Amino acid sequence: MARMKFLADAERCIECNGCVVACKQEHDVPWGVNRRRVVTLNDGVPGEKSISVACMHCSDAPCKAVCPVDCIYTTSEGVVLHDKDLCIGCGYCFYACPFGAPQFPQDGAFGLRGKMDKCTFCAGGPEPDFSEAEFRKYGRNRLAEGKLPACAEMCSTKALLGGDADVIADIYRDRVLKRGKGAEVWGWGTAYGRPEKKPAAQPGAKS
Amino acid sequence: MKSSHSKLSRRNFLLAVGAGGAAATAALVAKAPPTQIKKKEAVSGSKGYHLTEHIRKYYSTTKV
Repeated sequence: MARMKFLADAERCIECNGCVVACKQEHDVPWGVNRRRVVTLNDGVPGEKSISVACMHCSDAPCKAVCPVDCIYTTSEGVVLHDKDLCIGCGYCFYACPFGAPQFPQDGAFGLRGKMDKCTFCAGGPEPDFSEAEFRKYGRNRLAEGKLPACAEMCSTKALLGGDADVIADIYRDRVLKRGKGAEVWGWGTAYGRPEKKPAAQPGAKS
Repeated sequence: MKSSHSKLSRRNFLLAVGAGGAAATAALVAKAPPTQIKKKEAVSGSKGYHLTEHIRKYYSTTKV
């Protein structure tokens, strides 16, 4: 069984926010809710890095652990989804999530907090596939259509990778080995082993 | 004496109504299926991820 994951390649992201727009447009996300956003580290400093962040569909999701009504669940493909009919809008998941993925519509008076909304990996929700209720609550179910998340497919530089974890991990490893940097990230050695050190290129030599 | 007898029968009547109501509620709660389990069954029937030509094309574009 394939396991769905996102992977953001900071070397490729140009901070265009195309992924954010694609998500909002695809799912008709209400004003004030951002299921995905681009975060820039060291903004304005030479060498700044941007990454696209949304729900990372954790294998051991902390949001799921803290939900008092048990409305968050993981599908057989590793996609973390939630049931808006059960959600009480307490906000525990927001505090537990290290990525700030859970969002709460605040469109009422006195700080009214509605049902939690977050990235669904374009996999809909507990309602039947392609139903009106599913679209209204969770957005389109692209996975059932045989497609991948709109944000990843729309990414112009393919900095945001989404899909089968085995496939995208291979793609990312090939990129890192080709460009010769990126293997210093935490966990690389555990995942892929230490890359071979290549001798530095001679000045004037063609690569 | 007559008035105390009528009070007693009213009490019995109220007790009987209360017990009957409690029994009916317990029966309904026991019969009702847990909604959460029903919802999660719908997920297992979902089509989900399947490798299509569209997805193969996407994977190939990421290798550029």
